[in-house]
Amino acid sequence: MTESLKLTVDEKDDGLAIIHTDGYINNQGGEEIARVAYDLIDKGHKRLLLNLAKTKIVNSIGISILIEIIEKMLEIEGKLAFCSLTPTIEKTFHIMGLAQYAGIHADEEAALAELS
Amino acid sequence: MTTPTESHSAASVGEGQGLPTGDLWRTLLSPNRRAVEEKRALERLLVAWSDAHGKADAAVYAGDDDEGLLCRAKVGDAVFPVRLADAHDGSDDDASSGWKRLELPGAVLLHTAQLDPDLDRPTSSTHLLLAASMLISQLKRQIQEQSFQAMFRGVEQESLYEVGLAIASTLGHEGLGEEVLLRAISLLDARRGALYLLDQTEGVYRLSSSLGGSARDDFGAGELCSQSLAQGDGADGVPEDLVPGAHHILAVPVEIDSDPRGLLLVADKESRSGVGPFPSGDRRTLSLFANQAAIALENAKLHKLALEKERLEREMELAAEIQQQLLPDDMPDIPGCTVQGWNRPARQVGGDYFGFQELDEGRWCLLVGDVTGKGMPASLLVSTLHSALSVLLDHIEVDAELVQRLNRHVCESSASNKFITMLLAAVDPNTGHLDFINAGHNPGILLRDDGSVDELGTGGLPLGLLPMAQYKSFDLDVQPGDLLCLYSDGITECEAPDEEQYGMDRLVDLLREHREEPLPRIIEVIDEAMLSWAQGQPQGDDQTVVLLRREAGT
Repeated sequence: MTESLKLTVDEKDDGLAIIHTDGYINNQGGEEIARVAYDLIDKGHKRLLLNLAKTKIVNSIGISILIEIIEKMLEIEGKLAFCSLTPTIEKTFHIMGLAQYAGIHADEEAALAELS
Repeated sequence: MTTPTESHSAASVGEGQGLPTGDLWRTLLSPNRRAVEEKRALERLLVAWSDAHGKADAAVYAGDDDEGLLCRAKVGDAVFPVRLADAHDGSDDDASSGWKRLELPGAVLLHTAQLDPDLDRPTSSTHLLLAASMLISQLKRQIQEQSFQAMFRGVEQESLYEVGLAIASTLGHEGLGEEVLLRAISLLDARRGALYLLDQTEGVYRLSSSLGGSARDDFGAGELCSQSLAQGDGADGVPEDLVPGAHHILAVPVEIDSDPRGLLLVADKESRSGVGPFPSGDRRTLSLFANQAAIALENAKLHKLALEKERLEREMELAAEIQQQLLPDDMPDIPGCTVQGWNRPARQVGGDYFGFQELDEGRWCLLVGDVTGKGMPASLLVSTLHSALSVLLDHIEVDAELVQRLNRHVCESSASNKFITMLLAAVDPNTGHLDFINAGHNPGILLRDDGSVDELGTGGLPLGLLPMAQYKSFDLDVQPGDLLCLYSDGITECEAPDEEQYGMDRLVDLLREHREEPLPRIIEVIDEAMLSWAQGQPQGDDQTVVLLRREAGT
């Protein structure tokens, strides 16, 4: 009855991976992102890009999970960035302080330039 | 609180090597430390504790909301659980797993070594250090949580402000309902939600937007109990199974001045452990969004009405232009006769029409028509009549056959509820012979020189009603000095304030009284009579008059 977040992962050769989200980043969606992100970290990816082009909505539980992923990235001295956010989500990330620890970019091209 | 220096901390705890350094204390007390740094600091503290107690494997646990105690740091190779049951439940199950449990203020320590009884006192300095660091850690977490909540309230304020801004703009109302729903779901940490809008004509709430799962397409207004909805909590007053599978629903009405416009609902409040009911404060937040949605919908409705009005006005202007071009600019010059036509539409564009057309052998056709309705549809039908008649008159005599063809054409090219009444006459100015066909129109008046009246009565149904309708033509002789008056029902049905109609008798009397005067003057008199009769009442219908007088001496 409920719809869940869909994820697609694009693993690059140089320790970089792009996670594309499609749907609501809530508790379920956030945990799914965390599971995929931690798997990627375990596989040796230290630079992650979250492309939220197909996500229109994020709630506070989803944000807290994203913060945990950011903390995990800091722990392994990796880098996390976001791109293609709706104006509402971008503003929310700024207010919630995510922008202090993760880059926020207009599109993949700009994000990849920073992550490389 | 001051940060102890390395020498001071070592001196005060007095337990030898491995004790916390000033750097570690700074990490623990720093307001900006990261979780990962804190974890490392706790691990170092635990190593110090372990060293002081014979290299025990150990882990510290602290509270994590209502979920029990979470492992914050561990040393050694022993397998410790990630989570423990509540610290104060008194159970001693841990012993059977090979660890021992030590209660600290604000935390629990699991360890594998047998402690020296002297050290197993709460006052033991390493215990106190661990306890203090755990308490600091707990406080930090609480502050972080409160800070997170405060920032999220900032997001809520920002959301309401932005929705308000979007509403203030006259553009982009189309997606505003969905935007309000998304923000409400997001800010209330709901898993799902739906916005229903009331179709007031049919009394049905229709699904406008939903997110997170399926929702019923519609429900009857009768299924919603407004009183329960306004006073109750959660899903009170809401039809069952509106969002199938939802466990906890919070719904508020979308209304303007207590007039229902829709229903905004969210379902299943999320937490890290699953979903639950919404706290009472969430109702207020949802109502704020419902109010925003109501204002947006009302604005959108008014905006749409304004656009529709503007469109209609443009259409009316265009129709008026078309209609004006169809009416004759100048009166024809008919030897032996004078003619005059006049039209005053009730609104910008009317359904009345009149015209003249020269026929063969010096004869002339006169016409008055009245199309049902007003505006562009009526104007287009007048245009159809005008063009069809112009073509037909070039080829066919003014007789029943012509009107039958015209009727079939009008039937084919007009909507079923549109029809035209028409009085068509052909006059030979040399002989005064007049043929006419009256298709459901008001009877024309032929005022004789001696004051008597012959009527040009009906010979068939209005055009456009029945394709196979039959028509009958009649004829009269117009004598020199006779005055012919064709008119529309806007003249005879012109109403006084007491709703009395002007009537045909008054028109005939007026014509008798002014019959000798020039035709433009008679038109003026009719115009004045209409205004005087209506006494300032708005004109209910178009008014049209066509006059023809066969001049004496011809």
